[in-house]
Amino acid sequence: MSTHTEETAVRTFLYFLLYMIIAVAVIFLAAVLGAHGAWYFAWLVGTAMIVLISAAGGALLDTQEEHAAEPAPAERDRS
Amino acid sequence: MMVNGTVVALSRIQFAATALYHFLFVPLTLGLSFLLAAMETVFVTTGKPIYKDMARFWGKLLMINFALGVATGLTMEFQFGTNWSFYSGFVGDIFGAPLAIEGLMAFFMESTFIGLMVFGWERLSKGQHLAVTWLVAFGSNLSALWILVANSFMQNPRGAAFDPLTMRMQLTSFPQLIFNPDAQSKFVHTSVAGYVTAAIFVAGVSAYYMLRKRHVELAKRSFRMAALFGVLATIAVITLGDALGFVDARVQPTKLAAMEGLWKSEAAPMPFNLIAFPSQAQRRNVADVRVPYLLSLLVTHSLTGTVPGADALERQAVSRIEDGIPAVQALHVLARNPTDAAALAEFDAHRKDLGYGFLLERYAPDLNDASPAQLERAARDIIPPVAAVFWSFRVMVALGLLMLAYFVIAVLYTLRNRIQRKTWLLKTAVWMIPVPFIANEAGWLVAELGRQPWTVFDVLPTWMSASTHSVAYMAFSLIGFVVLYSVFIAVEMYLMVRAIRLGPAEPGDAGGPGSQVRPSLSPRPLPAAPYGGRLEG
Repeated sequence: MSTHTEETAVRTFLYFLLYMIIAVAVIFLAAVLGAHGAWYFAWLVGTAMIVLISAAGGALLDTQEEHAAEPAPAERDRS
Repeated sequence: MMVNGTVVALSRIQFAATALYHFLFVPLTLGLSFLLAAMETVFVTTGKPIYKDMARFWGKLLMINFALGVATGLTMEFQFGTNWSFYSGFVGDIFGAPLAIEGLMAFFMESTFIGLMVFGWERLSKGQHLAVTWLVAFGSNLSALWILVANSFMQNPRGAAFDPLTMRMQLTSFPQLIFNPDAQSKFVHTSVAGYVTAAIFVAGVSAYYMLRKRHVELAKRSFRMAALFGVLATIAVITLGDALGFVDARVQPTKLAAMEGLWKSEAAPMPFNLIAFPSQAQRRNVADVRVPYLLSLLVTHSLTGTVPGADALERQAVSRIEDGIPAVQALHVLARNPTDAAALAEFDAHRKDLGYGFLLERYAPDLNDASPAQLERAARDIIPPVAAVFWSFRVMVALGLLMLAYFVIAVLYTLRNRIQRKTWLLKTAVWMIPVPFIANEAGWLVAELGRQPWTVFDVLPTWMSASTHSVAYMAFSLIGFVVLYSVFIAVEMYLMVRAIRLGPAEPGDAGGPGSQVRPSLSPRPLPAAPYGGRLEG
């Protein structure tokens, strides 16, 4: 049991370390690109935004279809 | 040694032909990889298998395009050595580094991860596969970044200086090379142009399926995602086009003059030539339709700003050529005796106009005897072929605006989930597929024809950059390349059309755990809500 807890703690710590490294790398990249390569920075941010909005559009379509497939309130009451 | 003018022309045509062929494939890879990343992100976050099917299907088309893109790109790198050996020796110290990084990115990072992406669906976890797909997208775009850094050095040589002792240019600042304003705006402009290309392609193929009532659920989602991806990318590509024009106005005024058909300098606010018929021989536009004030606004972002016309630029070139003559003469002395201090001092005093001295050497091999007519002829060379640049630019801009209008309409209808009923829009979407490819090629022509008469702007003229091949050799290799690349295009078209006709695998065909749980996507009559099937994951 204690070995399992230790393993979980180590794994959590490693994840923490990984995410911290990514966060520091992102901050460093943003600082350097913000100062010297504004368009490169804009590309990174803009690409992420375009991809996520496009992805959200796909997910939204599923929601619209699910709503459209649901019976109308009057129909629901009758049943 | 003077290079035969026909050999230079054939070398240019060969490079242009191979680059234009290659550039048919590249933008689709740049954009489709990120569109795939978007589709797979939805699959991983929602667990709905239709998004996995989408990623697999569009991934197959990406693979076809990628393979032929790499095949056509390979020969271009060799051409620098075979056909442009003087250029390669002159700027190899700078040009070689980004080109090598580009090769490493393309062949190691991008190719490795694209293999994992295509063949790793059943071998990697969802998260791992998504990470691989994102790495393919970043790898392909970062590969493009390095080639565009190299290209931007040719447009605006920063971070390097000519060394008269080694007789070639040497890198002085790597950060200046990669943060070159031209590289920044050109990379983002080119990358997002790729996004637009992929969005039009995906929307067009999806529209084809909707018109044929095949794979409708997959097509609707692909169309929706492509339309949103495309509208944002088109806004970005236009914004970056403006930024690039702003950079060109400062660093490549001759290109800008050609893009705008601007033969004579004018007072602010300058009018914009909407349509014009430039005559290079007469140094004027034979006919034109002008919009008042617009040019000042577009290129200087003010009503009081001006940009020089060809006449002023040619006058400046005359004085720069006169200043470049002592630099070239000193260089000839240094070639014989590198320790000649007087020659070195003379060279340093005139080094900034060395390239202009080279321009005159084309017409006056002995610079001591250069006549005013030869000087004027060399000065006239600094203006690129105006009609070709002017019209390529207008084709690119007009098609960019057309794509923006198309995407706005497509987004409106797809967000209302009415796209399947708009047959006219679906037909338009299919016909729109070639449009971004034409716009990309036109943009490439503007960038590269507008750089003439230089291979490295203001530094190394094209006439002295080529190798000393024979005309027969160049003609033979040019025909060979055109035949080979035409075969590549035919193969690409055949494979693409075949893959599109076959369409995505039907539910269950693809294998893997996700594909078996999609019964609700099977075609069934649902008159009340014809497209309302639930998509459980």
